[in-house]
This record gives sequence, structure tokens and C-alpha cells, in this order.
Amino acid sequence: MITTTALTKSYGNARVVSDVSLHCEPGTITGFLGPNGAGKSTTLKMIVGLARPDHGSSTVGGHPFVDLPNPTRVVGTLLDPSAMHSGRTGRATLAIAARMAGVPTTRVGELLDLVGLADAADRRVGDYSLGMRQRLGIAQTLVGEPEVLILDEPANGLDPEGIAWMRGLLRDFADRGGTVLLSSHLLHEVQATVDHLVVISRGAVVASGRLADLLASSSLLIRTPDPENLARALRAARIDYQPGPDQTFTVDVLGGRVTPEMVARVALEQQVLLTELRQSDSGGLEQLFFSLTAAKTAQPQEAAA
Amino acid sequence: MTSTTMTQPLYTPHADTPRATLSGIPFGRLVRVEWVKATDTRASRWLLIAVAATTVGLMLAPIFSPSSIDQSYTSYLGFAAVALSILLPVVSILTLTSEWSQRTALATFTQEPRRMRVITAKITVSLMLGASAAVFGGLVTAAGLGVAAASGRTLDANLNPGLLVAFLLYVVLNVMTGVALGALVHNSAAAIVASFVLPIGFALLGRASQLVAEWLDYSTTFNWLLNGEWSGHTSQILVSVILWVAIPLAAGLLRTVRREID
Repeated sequence: MITTTALTKSYGNARVVSDVSLHCEPGTITGFLGPNGAGKSTTLKMIVGLARPDHGSSTVGGHPFVDLPNPTRVVGTLLDPSAMHSGRTGRATLAIAARMAGVPTTRVGELLDLVGLADAADRRVGDYSLGMRQRLGIAQTLVGEPEVLILDEPANGLDPEGIAWMRGLLRDFADRGGTVLLSSHLLHEVQATVDHLVVISRGAVVASGRLADLLASSSLLIRTPDPENLARALRAARIDYQPGPDQTFTVDVLGGRVTPEMVARVALEQQVLLTELRQSDSGGLEQLFFSLTAAKTAQPQEAAA
Repeated sequence: MTSTTMTQPLYTPHADTPRATLSGIPFGRLVRVEWVKATDTRASRWLLIAVAATTVGLMLAPIFSPSSIDQSYTSYLGFAAVALSILLPVVSILTLTSEWSQRTALATFTQEPRRMRVITAKITVSLMLGASAAVFGGLVTAAGLGVAAASGRTLDANLNPGLLVAFLLYVVLNVMTGVALGALVHNSAAAIVASFVLPIGFALLGRASQLVAEWLDYSTTFNWLLNGEWSGHTSQILVSVILWVAIPLAAGLLRTVRREID
């Protein structure tokens, strides 16, 4: 379990994290999504005690991170896969982590197998590709059999096969009751991996909740060869619509108060033929992400003007 | 790499062990881990080999130049002391700075967020390395003296327990200058350069100023220590230790504990 309360942090006059509150439950994977420079890494660093918040607090497993007697037994952290000693082998890197955690070093071999680095275990980390370091970093987070994982951009440097592998690993971890918080600016990766989402822009949370709920709150696309009668029917049913190109309409679902079934029923009652009726968000999360972050970016400019 | 292979190493919730209340990392374990970290990379191994080679190499000087170099126990031991003071501080510097230069601090301080404990463990390891090196230096000296004696020379056996302690202190204090510099300057290259340039700078200044030479230039004051010339020099030795060890170490610890890590 991870909880943060109103984490806030400035560097000089620049406020990089502003009142970030989030809550990650056991059994879930939370995506911490935002463009580069949105404050994701700084937030994660505050959670694990590497950066000090100006105010606000956070707990991992119910305790402030810095009060955990042996943190890696509770939470596995991967903030930067390039932050490893280049002169040490992958095996030695994990052995150090295992000794620190106080777990048997036999676990090192198991983890190297798990992340697919068994053949490269005795090569220096300096010779590893970014993807291999990412895998080693994942192995390092798992050394202490933690119940929480905090990963900053874990998909960076992984090929599509590697991303699919990690998705399976994290899903499995969460299904066993683990808690995962991972940051990303790779929308498609997050969409397929997470079940909860916290979207951050310019240091502030602009949306959070279950992925399904966030995706559902978009609009419907309707196509008909008879636009005039459909417009009349929608007006009669008091459903707001936007006419689009090629005999289409878009209808805001208003957070679920307007459903495809409702639209279909209106059309049926007025004998209007529909040739298409679906969620209009072709880009899915991408659209949500860009609309949220773009709106947030535009606001201060308007205020300044 | 499929889900079938990942059954064992992943987390399985144990209702009976609340992880957040497990006992902390014992200090002995931190010291063992830091000892491994200080000695397990290629760079550190070569450096330790170089320390040993320098010691053996310099010991050849009094053996091969009996006419120009004083043939006494303390003279031979002095060569071991000088040899150890060249590269051993660099080992200590790297022990502290590599966390920043290699950016492993990110992992280290999430493994043990009580940073002072980690640094204390590193200092302990440096002291252990210094003491081991002093013992090694003593053995090389004994071997050198053995060779000299075997060649039929008469050697002045002017060594006493006090001078042996002074030798150990000399090596350890040189190590501590490296520790202090490494704790303060969080960059391997800069700290190593400083460890060579600053003493030379102070030695040059010492030529211009008697005050600098006798109080601030630790090569002078530590030599008094090594040669057992305590009397009349105790306060100078202490002042130079405060300047080169205590102050930078205290400032470095403060910086390390407060620093944000990226």
C-alpha cells in the first residue's frame, strides 16, 4: 500500500510537485502518467526518502519510508536503471542487494533466471544495454520479496517482447496481493498494464481513478444516413449532440448518464437507421491524456493574458 | 521468461510476517556489504594491487642503495609508510565518491535510508583497510630488513612499540584524509585530483610561510608523528588533523545526510 498526502516540492521558485495525493491498494497496478518534467520522478523520490517534500507526507506499507527498518523487504524501488555501478557484474549487483536485505544469496540465481539475464550474469553492468539494465533493476526490486514496487519508467529501453514480459510479471505480482506504482509517459504501455491511473501535469494531479472509469467518461460516435431525423430525435430526448463530418454525431456520455443503449433506443423509437454507434475515443487513453494535460497547460496562459 | 518461471521469486503475501516491522539492518551486515563494495570491482582490485606493488617497489630503494639511505629499521618502515600514503587514500575516496559518480546512492540509500549508518560503515571499512595495509606494510618492511640482513649489512634496530603505533596512526590518518575528502567532494575525479594537488599546494605555501608549513601542511606534521617527534609538535599535529580530517569529514557527513539524490 502506498499513500501520499498533499506532497509539495519546489526547487527555487519553481514548484515541481503540487499537492500530489495518491493511494495505491494491494492487488492493483497504478500508472503514474504524465509528460516529461511533470514531476513524476520527484514525487517518487519523495516517497522513498531521496528528496524532502516542502510539505505533505507519504507512507509505504503504512509507515514513512525512512522509518522502515529494512526497506527492501517492504518495497522494491527502481528509479533509474543507469544508476548502477558499471564495474560490477549483474550477479554481484544482486548479491549486494540480497546481503543488504538479509535474504539468502541463492535468490540471486533465481532472479537472474526470472529476468532472463542468466547468460549475462557475469558480465559487467557497464556492458549491458539499457533494456538489460532495466531487467537487472527489476530483479533488484524483487530481491527482498517486497509487497510494494515503485518503478520509474520501467518500460524505457525494453523491446516490445520485454514490455509484454514485464506486463505479465507486474500483473502476476499484483494478483498475488502486491501493490505496484509505475510511472510512464508511454501511453500505450500504461493502458495495457495498469488498472488505476493518476495523471499528473505541471506537478499537479489532473485526473485519477480506475482506468475503466477514466476511459468511459468520453463520448459516443453515431453515424446515420438520416442526420436530420436523428438530430430531431436527440433533441426530443434532450441529449446534447455535436454534428460531425460524414453524417456523424458525437454525444458526450456525461460520466455514464448517456449510454449507447439509450441512444439506440431513441433511434429505434423514431425509426432512424444507425450505421455506427460506439465509443468515439479512437486513441483511448491517448486522447484523455492529451486533453487533460493540454487543458492544464493552456489554463495558466489564459489567466496570464 | 514466461509466467511459469516466475512462481518462486515473486512476492507471496505472508500474513504472519508484517514486513514493515522486521528488524533493521545490523551494522555488521552494513560493514560486510561495504567491504565487498570497496573491494569487488576491477578498479578497486587494481588499486589495491597497485598499493601492494608500490609498497614492495619502494622497499627496494633502501635495499639497493645502502650507501645513500640510512640502514635502520625506522628508515625501512618509513618507506612502507610513504608508499601506503600515496594510493591508499584513493581507495577510501572511491569508497565514498563512487556512490555519487556511479549514482549507486540511489539504490544504496533506498536500501538503508539512515544515510549516516551507511557512511559510518564506509569509514569503518576504510579504517579496516588502513589497518590491514599497515600490517602488510609492516610485513614488507620485515621482509626488506630480512633481505638486507641476509646480505650481511648491519642494521640499526631502532624500532620500539611506540614507533609501530605511530606508523599505524600515520597510515590510518592518511586514509582518513581520503575519507574526509571523499565524504565532502561527491565526485571521484575531483576528489582524487584534490587529494594530490592540495598537499602539494600546501607544501609549496609552506616554503613561503613557516606558519603554513608547521601547522597546515599535513605532510610535515604527519611526518613528525611517523618519526615519533611528538614533543613540541602535538598541537601542530592536532591542528592539521582537525583541518584535513575533522572539518571536511563533518561537513561531508552533513552534506551527505541532507543532500537530495538524483
